[in-house]
Amino acid sequence: MFTRGTLIYIGQRLVLITLAVLGVSSLVFVGVHRLPGDALFSEHLHGTQYELTLHHYGLDRPLWQQYVTFLWNMLHGDLGESLVNRGVPITPIVAREMSVSAEVGMVALIVTVGLGMSFGVIAALRQNTWIDYVLSTTSVIGYSMPNFVIATFLILVFGVWLENVTQGNFFYQIGWPGRYGSIGAIWLPAFALGFPSASIVARMTRASMLEILQQDFIRTARAKGLPTATITIRHALRNALIPVVTVLGPLAMAIITGGVVVENIFGIPGLGKEFATSILNRDYNVVIGVFTGYAALVGLTNLGVDLLYVVIDPRIRY
Amino acid sequence: MATPATIVASQPIAPEQASLWSDAWRKLRRNRLALAGAIYLTFVVAVALTALVYTPYPMAKVGVGIPYTGPSPEHLLGVDTIGRDVLSRLMVGAQVSLLVGVGTQLVVLAIGVPIGLGAGYFRGWFDQVMTFVINLFYGVPNLLVALILVFLLGPSLTNIIVAIASTGWMDMARLVRGQTLSLRERDFIEASRASGARPAKILFGHVLPNALGPIIVQATFGVPAAILFEAFMSFLGLGVPPPMPSWGSMAADGIVAIRIAAYMVVAPALALSLTLMAFNFVGDGLRDALDPRQRR
Repeated sequence: MFTRGTLIYIGQRLVLITLAVLGVSSLVFVGVHRLPGDALFSEHLHGTQYELTLHHYGLDRPLWQQYVTFLWNMLHGDLGESLVNRGVPITPIVAREMSVSAEVGMVALIVTVGLGMSFGVIAALRQNTWIDYVLSTTSVIGYSMPNFVIATFLILVFGVWLENVTQGNFFYQIGWPGRYGSIGAIWLPAFALGFPSASIVARMTRASMLEILQQDFIRTARAKGLPTATITIRHALRNALIPVVTVLGPLAMAIITGGVVVENIFGIPGLGKEFATSILNRDYNVVIGVFTGYAALVGLTNLGVDLLYVVIDPRIRY
Repeated sequence: MATPATIVASQPIAPEQASLWSDAWRKLRRNRLALAGAIYLTFVVAVALTALVYTPYPMAKVGVGIPYTGPSPEHLLGVDTIGRDVLSRLMVGAQVSLLVGVGTQLVVLAIGVPIGLGAGYFRGWFDQVMTFVINLFYGVPNLLVALILVFLLGPSLTNIIVAIASTGWMDMARLVRGQTLSLRERDFIEASRASGARPAKILFGHVLPNALGPIIVQATFGVPAAILFEAFMSFLGLGVPPPMPSWGSMAADGIVAIRIAAYMVVAPALALSLTLMAFNFVGDGLRDALDPRQRR
């Protein structure tokens, strides 16, 4: 499956990802240093104390020297030090938050594909019945609703309303235990993140299932007496998967960008939460770090999806 | 050769000639979802226009009611966390959403259409450079680019429109390029070229009118995408600066009070979802009506 060519391809892609990450962080670095005001500004430091702090961060040197140092440190995996929490290195924070965001995104992607495909298959098998109409309407609503709206309604239903109905015995408690959360904490944000994409998957699956169920080889399979379940899963669904696989990349991107907001709503300590906090604090070093983290996350996800194509579709070779 | 009248009469009558636009209009009127969407959007536009001259309370005035009080005859949609009237803010929020949605698409049209026309018609180095740039922009997730841009330019209505348009022009450019590529080979373009028309005349007088259908559909789908983007950015605090309300920032403000005053987040969330849905329905309807491939 992974030939030598594939390995070379992975190597090339990793080089490209590194370049893209450097490009994004350089852009943000230059942009951020043109902005007025910084985290130090709000501390009302004066005189020697202010200059010492500037010197500590190298902010008293010319911009090009700062940039060279920044690039050099970046290449060594060092993103510098937070302007607000003095002495705290950014790299381990961003790395940890990336893994949390990736975890939530992965679960959301599983929700997306699982839910979307089952809805699509059911709607196709029960075409033009009330089940089909309910599922199709749900998916139209799903892709029209921004995920923070879905998240809000989910919290209202599972957090607030359910608590009132069951007198506080059974409801969704907003919170994120430990570093990577728990199954009880992750399912709702994953659902909120995955639902809009699941609607798209459901629509595509339904359409391609309907098309494939019309084809001759399905009639042949039926004629030779195969059970319906086998026909649906082994013959129809397998072929209906192909268009779904092609949108996996864009869907994964939608989930990553969606995470920026959903993490903030559910209080998940991922990159998205850090993004909002660091911008609010004007902690520019962390802002650069977060954008760098996102660039890396996006690059690696795209690479992962492309490699997944090789696994799913044997015709694809790199 | 003379044809007897009886033979002419027995020939099957050709279907009545209908222009693309009148045919599309007829189809659009028959599409109930699109019609409902269009009616709802008319309502939203009316609300946004009304808000120019009248809102129940000044939208930015603090303390017009008791904070956290729900809907009442005085405040139809309740009062927000610092005592501002939610309905008034929702009405002004409609202006923001429509301005961002339509404004972004105008910028996208202004950038995407000329680039697409030029790249598709002249080919050569311009086409190659533009295709490269378009692919470059496709390589990065658009929300992140928009966020970086707004963050660097500073949050304001104009900057938001610029930021969203700069991540959305590629779709339009690619579409127009594709349309131009196929149109430039057609005979009527050839005839126009032979009769000595200048490229500008050919592109804007002949190619563009014939590509208008798909362009309109694409722009219609672009509007809700832009509105969604703006809501997203406002939700993160990078949207229109306060005290200007936006449906996204209203939802963000309300979410802290979701336990005690859910109306505060439900109102903007519903307004936003319904508007997005309406645009999508109208877009679907327009696509069915204007896409020649789906014509019988």
